[in-house]
Order: sequence, then C-alpha cells, then structure tokens
Amino acid sequence: MDKKSKYTRLLLWSVLSSALTFAVIFFIIGYILLKGGGTVNAEFLLDSPKGFPLGSSGGIYPAIMGSLAFTGVACSVASLLAISTAIYLKFYCSSRRLYNIVSLVIESTAGMPSIVLGLFGYTLFVLKMGFGVSVLSGGLVLGIMIFPFIEVRVEKRLSEIEQEMLLSSYALGVSRYYTIKRLVLREALPDIISSVALAGGFAMGATAPIILTGAVIYAKAPESVMSPAMALSYHLYVLVGEGAPTEYVYGTSTVLVLLILAINGAAMLFGIMKRGE
Amino acid sequence: MKSDKAFELIIKMFTLVSVTILGFIIFFIGAESIPAFRHSGVAGFFANERWHPIGAEPVLSILPMVLATVYVSFLAVAIALPIGVGTAVFLSCIAGESARRVLKPFIDLMAGLPSVVFGFMGLIVVVGYFERHFSMSSGESALAGGIVLAIMILPYIVSTCDTTMAGIMKSYKISSDSLGVSKWHMVRYLVLPAAKRSVLAGAVLALARGMGETMAVMMVIGNSPLLPRLLGKCETIPALIALEMGGAPVGSLHYHALFAAGLILIIMRFAVSMAVWRIKRGADL
Repeated sequence: MDKKSKYTRLLLWSVLSSALTFAVIFFIIGYILLKGGGTVNAEFLLDSPKGFPLGSSGGIYPAIMGSLAFTGVACSVASLLAISTAIYLKFYCSSRRLYNIVSLVIESTAGMPSIVLGLFGYTLFVLKMGFGVSVLSGGLVLGIMIFPFIEVRVEKRLSEIEQEMLLSSYALGVSRYYTIKRLVLREALPDIISSVALAGGFAMGATAPIILTGAVIYAKAPESVMSPAMALSYHLYVLVGEGAPTEYVYGTSTVLVLLILAINGAAMLFGIMKRGE
Repeated sequence: MKSDKAFELIIKMFTLVSVTILGFIIFFIGAESIPAFRHSGVAGFFANERWHPIGAEPVLSILPMVLATVYVSFLAVAIALPIGVGTAVFLSCIAGESARRVLKPFIDLMAGLPSVVFGFMGLIVVVGYFERHFSMSSGESALAGGIVLAIMILPYIVSTCDTTMAGIMKSYKISSDSLGVSKWHMVRYLVLPAAKRSVLAGAVLALARGMGETMAVMMVIGNSPLLPRLLGKCETIPALIALEMGGAPVGSLHYHALFAAGLILIIMRFAVSMAVWRIKRGADL
C-alpha cells in the first residue's frame, strides 16, 4: 500500500514535470509565432526599419543581412581553424603533453562566458587593431565563441572513424594527406557540415559578443566586412528596451526564431538522413 | 609527396594560430585586470557593497555582483533541477521509444533558442505577471532572473540526465524484467540511485552555464548593484560588463575593473567546471 503510493508519486512527478517542460517549449515558440507570424510578409523582410522610435514601422532587411554576415564570417573563420586543429590533434600530434595542452586551451575557451569574449574583442579588434565596430570584429568574436563547439564535435567524429580503414590505407602506402583527404574527410563530411551549421545557429542567436564589437542600432545592409551592421538578435534587444512590444517586435523575434530553427533543423535532418542510409 | 608536406604544414600552422589566439585571450584578460587589483587589492574587491568605478575616489568592490551571479544561478538550478530530472525520468523510463523519438528533438530545439528571445519572453510574461499580481512597482527582480534562467538551463539538465538514465534502463531492462521487478521499482531503486552522479554533474554544468548567461538575465533583473534579495533588483557580473563596457575609456580604472570582473567570473566558472570534472571522474570509478 505504502509502496504503491510511493510509485504513484513518482509517476505523478515525472508526468507533471514533463508536461510543464513541454508546455513551456510550446508556449514560447507558439506565442512568438502566433503573435509575430501575421507581421512577416515580403515588405517586412525586404524593407528597412522606419519610424520613431526606430522600428515602429518598416522592415528588418538590414538586420537579416547583418545576421547572415556575422554568422558567415564566424563560421568561415572558426570552421577553417577548428577543423584543422581537430585533424592535427587526431592525425599529426604525436606528443601526449602537447595534446593535453591544446585540449586544455580549447576547453578553457569553451568555458569562457560570451560577454567576456565580447569585452576582449572590443578592446583588441575594435580599439587596438583598428577594425572598428564592424562585421569583421563581431564575426571574429563569434568565431572564437563557436571554435570549441566545432572542434570538439569534429574531433569526436574523427575518432569514430574505423582504425582498420586508416591502417589499411597506410599499409597500402597511401600518404597521410591522401588518406585524410579521400577517406577521412569524405567519410566525416556530412557530420562536419552539420556541426558547422549548428554552430552557425548558435552564433546567429548570440547577442552579448556583438553588442560593442559589431552590431549597431541602425545601418544599411553590410557592404563589406569593415562596415558596421545590424543583427536580428541585437535589434530585438534594442526594440525591447524601447518599451511596450509591438507587432514589429514580435515579427522580428519570429524571423530570428524561424531562421535559427531552419538552420538547426537542417543540421539535424542532415544527420538523420545520413544515418538512415 | 610535396602536397603531403604542404598539407601538414598548413594544418600545423592553423592549429598554432588557433592555440595562440585562444591562449592569448586568457593572458590578455589576466594582464588587463592587474591595475584594478593593484588599486583595490584582491581582498578589497570583495570588501563591501560599493561599486563606484568613476569619481575622485573610486571604490571597486564587486561583492554584490558576485553574490547576485551566484544567487540567480543557484535559484535557477533549484527551480530547474526537479522539473528537469522528472522530465528525464519520463523520457527515458515511461515514454515509449517512439514517443521519445518525437519529444527529444523539442528539448534540443529549446536549447537552440537565442537567449535574447528568452529575455524578451521573460520580460513580457514573467515580469509582467509579477507586476500585475504581486503589486510590485517593477517586476524586474532576482526571482524573475532565476525563473527565466531556469527555463534556459532546463534542456541541458534534461539532456544530460536522460542520456544516462536511458543507458541504465537499456543495460538492466532484460535482467530486471526476467526477475519480475516492476518498472516502478526499477526506476525508484535502480535508475534514480545509479543516475545520482550524472544528475549532480548535469546540475553543476547548468550552474556554470547560468553564471555566464548575459542577455536573458540582464533583461529581467533590473540591474542595480545591490545585494541580491528574492524580490529585489540586482546585477550579475555579465550584466555589469555588458552595460558598462561601452562607457569605460580604455586604460581607465573603470576599464581595468571590468576586465577584473570578467576574470573573477572566469575563475568562478572554472571552479564549478572542476567540480563537474571531479564528479565525473568519480562516476567512472
């Protein structure tokens, strides 16, 4: 009897808490999409913000382009360096101590709060190196932020490659470069792309690193990496600070959320499709 | 053979560049903090509740922000932990394989939402609710920050716990079933005790994430450098840096003080990560 009520309580606890968890998820996404969905149309996507305070009318085109530019710079810089580092650690690094040092540095960066990276980037890139508030400065900070994210996933994927395949390749006298290029990368490519895409979604949603390094309240769609840009996440933050949320604010959140969901969804589908083969 | 050497060289060069940049960040933050510590002394940084970085006689004590950071993130973990573990029990032990496959992606989806969206929702829903129902002049408070942060770290707790619990379920299911042990007995006396360490590790990991969170927390806690109270305004270290770094001229004491604040936050997170590492090492034994 006593035992039975104990189990009932256990059941009740787990059912109620998962109901709460999923209710919160559906509420957040549903609320934003329902309230903002009506605002999103061609004009909203292709016009610039207008009105006073800014964003009481018009669209969010420059912010969308800015977000894509920041994410693009971050992903290109971070993926090039992170994939190289992962290949080095897995295939070239022969010293245990060196491996540990590199891993420790990567791990400490992963544990770095994004706002501290922003502070670092603001001082170094914006002020000391003279990049100014620009897509480049903001993109570099975001790139540093997602570097460990990509490196850890790619390195894990590379370790999952069958040792036998590598050894056979080496035994046949195939060079390490050719083995990596034709066997390893080909095998791991879908997962590497998927990791980079997930990291891109992460970078696109981040606000703290670009507050002072790249994002501005108003700008045209960026023309080069040296120009400052708007970003959806920062634009949303600015709009919320202006006062009572309007349809325009919900519309901005809807576009931001949908973009990130699309990126993450594509990355996830990519992984599922590959496994399904 | 030539391309072989060139490839190796390029890979080594990029790795060197990466490690140099990342190592330099840590060094840079440390170096830029020194003048602030020299001004107040390390103990002086935690001496009182006064944060006046500008003026004739600047006082740099970051104690209220340190306490607020710890307070808000502990509050968030305290709220999220029972709900997260309960959800993980449901996903790994109660929901069938197909329900789990449908529900799990929603947890990942929630983890991917940008923090500024959580802050926005927190502001209109949580803060708005406090203002309407608690007759508070402003609903922005440590509690609001704790609730919003709890929602943000919930998916991390669910993910870590669910992975472990599903693993335990899988490895003991057959023996447990053949012995005629009921599912509930198994959950209560096998899965939960065996997952204890991983739950703890998940909680500490979530705590570390919470301490570093900027936007969502900053948008709902009111940002006043006061000692944290449940229904009072406070300011976390990330919020302090985000709000003040634009106004601090390079090289000023204020500027160095913000770097010192960042360094303290990194050390706090590092201490928490060490705890995770120790818990995990214990779990493997």
